[in-house]
Amino acid sequence: MNAPAPPGTSASDIAVDARGLCKCFYQRQRSEKLSEVFANLLRPRVRLVEALRQVDLQVRRGEIVAYAGPNGAGKSTTVKLLCGILAPDAGRVRVLGLDPIADRVRYVGRIGVVFGQRTELWWDHPVAASFEWKRVVWEIPRPRYERLLGRVRELLGLDEFFHSLTRELSLGQRMRADLGLALVHEPEILFLDEPTIGVDVLAKRHILEFIMQLNRERRVTVMLTSHDMDELEQLAGRIALIDRGRIAFDGDFDQLRRRFADRRRLRLQTRAGEAPVLQGAQLLGSEGGWHEYTFDAARTQIAGLLAQASARSEILDVETHRAPLDEVIADIYQQWRQ
Amino acid sequence: MGVRTCKKLLRLWGVYAYLDFMFMTRDLRFFLHCFFSDAVLNLAAVSGTFLLAERFAGLGGWSQPQVVFLLGYGMLVGGLINTFFGFNVLYISRRLGRGQLDHTLIQPQPLWLSLLTEGFTPISGSAILLPASGLLLWAGATLGLGSAARWWALFVLQALSSAAIALSFSFLWGSLAFWAPRAAEEISSSALRLVYQLKPFPLDGSGPLLMGGLLSLLPVGFVAWYPCRFLLGIALSPWDGAATPLAAFFFALLASWAFTRGKKHYERTGSSRYLSFGHRS
Repeated sequence: MNAPAPPGTSASDIAVDARGLCKCFYQRQRSEKLSEVFANLLRPRVRLVEALRQVDLQVRRGEIVAYAGPNGAGKSTTVKLLCGILAPDAGRVRVLGLDPIADRVRYVGRIGVVFGQRTELWWDHPVAASFEWKRVVWEIPRPRYERLLGRVRELLGLDEFFHSLTRELSLGQRMRADLGLALVHEPEILFLDEPTIGVDVLAKRHILEFIMQLNRERRVTVMLTSHDMDELEQLAGRIALIDRGRIAFDGDFDQLRRRFADRRRLRLQTRAGEAPVLQGAQLLGSEGGWHEYTFDAARTQIAGLLAQASARSEILDVETHRAPLDEVIADIYQQWRQ
Repeated sequence: MGVRTCKKLLRLWGVYAYLDFMFMTRDLRFFLHCFFSDAVLNLAAVSGTFLLAERFAGLGGWSQPQVVFLLGYGMLVGGLINTFFGFNVLYISRRLGRGQLDHTLIQPQPLWLSLLTEGFTPISGSAILLPASGLLLWAGATLGLGSAARWWALFVLQALSSAAIALSFSFLWGSLAFWAPRAAEEISSSALRLVYQLKPFPLDGSGPLLMGGLLSLLPVGFVAWYPCRFLLGIALSPWDGAATPLAAFFFALLASWAFTRGKKHYERTGSSRYLSFGHRS
């Protein structure tokens, strides 16, 4: 399901326009049986891996889009296609009106890329040297560079390690420096592939706040992949879920919850130690007189559950809240696998 | 190449020289170790040929000073390549095999410009140039070479052509890493090792088949021996002076063709883990 561009959206409002993207890889299959080793030499067994199958994705300028999916779903392949590192087997990609492969030089000057598992920083040099390198390669005029560098250093807190060698930074520091480096040429669109992987809570908060501020102030379009669903929900207004190379969902987080069961949590404190059995809800656990249930709010009314509970036990206190998004997504991935 | 590209080329060389300077000067002991061990290692690599020439009062019909000139020339070519194409640009298969081309592809400049500048290491790569210059100056003074500006112009042309041939040879084989990234990760270094090991020998007296091979399939003859024959006046025909630049042009075309084809393949496959003999993560 793809979120259609809203009425009145002009072509210039679209930052990313990908249509019918297909990408296949071939994976060699090996047998552990000795008898098949020689047969494999003559006729290697090859498995077709369809990384992307008819992917359509449009992102409006100034939008933050979360791009998520299970491992091997095709997230990184999509990001590589959008960055111009990889060409699609079929389909068409236009980002900021340009073809990422054919117009590579012009195009990459207008985007910022952060691969969480790689670094663009010069490993054996101080962070400062990588920024100076960036200024020259990206041909950023000196006054503009000084202004942007000052801002990036302040907002991402780079000063404390700006003159330290990259190889000596912690993961959180390295990610902040990488993010700063990706932004110092004022890109119009930012591709972040798992930018907070392995980063501690505080560093993550710094990074997320910075991205939100950047989007608010400069309307930078952001496309972000991550496995941390709470992080994605905090940052993005929209989520596209990819599964086995297809976009399986594209919409906002509320729609996602509604579509794949509006999972809620109910916590009851009862006078009796035993948890009451509630039809339409599943008991997760009990501790200190508190009993926690999970239920689908689209099917089961909370009032009905409370009525059942009070009929069976004396209720002292009640709490209800939405289930963590991670849990919802885990259920979705489970459903897809089945 | 326009004025703007030329300016950018110089600015890029400037920034890479700065990075190399910063790298080498982070520790004085490290700097001295790197610089002098490189120079000593390169002198040691050619000492065998020198000792043979010394023992037999020449080698393969070449006098001792001529052999020293050959050794100095070969070292100079190696030094030029190291200075301008360090940082694994020379050993391009390592970059391809390790999936590092992606970093270059997200820079807003043509790929050729990145490859021409990223390896500029004038401090760490130039350790060979000092002993090479010493050998060339001694041999040149002994042989009475270099009195005419024309000779120097031809010397520069031959040296640049020799460097271009070695570099093209590395790129030609290294392009295989586009197709078999992991398996061919070290193919550039293997190809260059062949060239470098045979470079300090006069090849006169080799049979036509071997000679033909050493000037075509494995163009080691063009890296030092053939241009030195011309510069030392051993060559029979003035046309011999054109052979190395022409060979450089041919090998550069061939390497460019192979690399372009490989890059097209890379656009389709990327540095995916699904490649057989695929990239390291």
